[in-house]
Amino acid sequence: MIQLTNVSKIYSNGARALVDVNLKIGKGNFVFLVGPSGAGKSTLIKLLYREEIPTRGQVQINSRNLVRMKEREVPYLRRSIGVIFQDFKLLPNKTVFENVAFALEVIGVPKREVRSRTLATIDLVGLKAKEKAYPHELSGGEQQRVCVARAIINNPALLVADEPTGNLDPDTAWDIMDLLYEINKRGTTVVMATHARAIVNKMQKRVIAIENGRVARDEEQGGYGYDV
Amino acid sequence: MFNSSGYIFRETFNSMRRNPWLSLASVITVMVSLVILGYSIFFLANTANMAKSFESELEIGAFVQMSYTPEEVQDLKSQIEQMPGVESVSLVTKEQALEDFGKTIGGTQSSIVADVGGTNPFPDKLTVKVTDPQNVKTLAQSLETNPGLYKVRYGQEFVDQLLKFTQWLRWIGFGVVAAFGAAAVVLISINVKINVFSRRKEIQIMKLVGASNGFIRWPFLIEGLALGLVGGTLAAIIVGVGYNWITVYVQSTLTFLPVVQNQVLFRQVTLGLLLAGMAMGAIGSVFSLQKFLRA
Repeated sequence: MIQLTNVSKIYSNGARALVDVNLKIGKGNFVFLVGPSGAGKSTLIKLLYREEIPTRGQVQINSRNLVRMKEREVPYLRRSIGVIFQDFKLLPNKTVFENVAFALEVIGVPKREVRSRTLATIDLVGLKAKEKAYPHELSGGEQQRVCVARAIINNPALLVADEPTGNLDPDTAWDIMDLLYEINKRGTTVVMATHARAIVNKMQKRVIAIENGRVARDEEQGGYGYDV
Repeated sequence: MFNSSGYIFRETFNSMRRNPWLSLASVITVMVSLVILGYSIFFLANTANMAKSFESELEIGAFVQMSYTPEEVQDLKSQIEQMPGVESVSLVTKEQALEDFGKTIGGTQSSIVADVGGTNPFPDKLTVKVTDPQNVKTLAQSLETNPGLYKVRYGQEFVDQLLKFTQWLRWIGFGVVAAFGAAAVVLISINVKINVFSRRKEIQIMKLVGASNGFIRWPFLIEGLALGLVGGTLAAIIVGVGYNWITVYVQSTLTFLPVVQNQVLFRQVTLGLLLAGMAMGAIGSVFSLQKFLRA
């Protein structure tokens, strides 16, 4: 489903974020990206939803080439990819319902459909009671659930997450991981960059370690691997 | 896109409600620049009109040789009338000149003639009107070479200076309009940039969840149009009412000044201000967004 071929990314300031990376991630996989800060995890994540374009090499998702893709095709790619962030990126002046519905409204989904799908997705992430609350009235975990709901409402084939539990306490982090696990079980490919050792070790999923912009390790059912 | 029209208008309205001061600043900027633009246009129209009315009063006075007979004078007159650039020629004969002079000093013709030595001292005078004031000088110079004329007067220095002055007025008028037009566009695009910046998070999320660039642009475009229209309307009212007031005031106090009172121009300017406001708002929005939407 995802294929990176000889991908290098050098930023305009000369920083070499990724060096000759080759990766294949199959449909329905659950993959952890681990590695020290600044190793290139976030850059790799950004390549997947075409926030960045590689300096060299090719990125393909579902046989769509993200490098050769025209600018006007990007929105349609993004509709098949959900993105989750460490800082949630919710709109503070919109309610939970509005934040989630936003993802459908801005791609032109009819109003009636927006309502039913939004309610169903909010229910799925367990926030049915908080539908009318504003982000500042929610806990961190609840805010991340809103972010997840917004990311999955379009039934994306791929869900990418950049340290989704980075701002959460361990118990809340596990709630979010349970949610991602459920979403993965329904067929969505999940790629998650993380520093959460306990989660990676417990989940026993594929682990790709990035160091100095290179793939240092790639194990099925791996562990976090970096000792304190 | 039709499914989204509700969203777009709601967002436009919400944005104005959320950022009332920014919206007000945008409206005022549009309004001020368009008021200046509107007055500049009227100023320009008036300077052009003033220059034209001064210029149209320019004429050449040509004095005919004393020895010419009335028939020769008539020939000379029709000869000048044939010259290119001449609009009309009128003749004041020496007898008429004497009569006019007699009227002004209150004597009879014969007594004046006697007083100055037995002959009529006045020459026949041809007054030449030109079609284009710019040609006064060259026409006068060619008349000077005519053997039938012994003197040609056209207030050479006055003409030169007036033409220079009206030319300057025109350039200044154009300069004022151009400078304020540019200033208005810059100010509006800054306002829209602030507007876009204050909503960058929203735009970022819209892009992330796959909203098309066209869709992201719409609320800003409509907002720009609306703000521009409000600013343009206020400017049209201020310019219209203000210009009427100035016209009345000038005509009652400085009656010698010609004031343009052209209803067609008036309508064109006010309508133009409305359209210019909308165009500024919309173009400013789109240009400011372009940078955000790329990358």
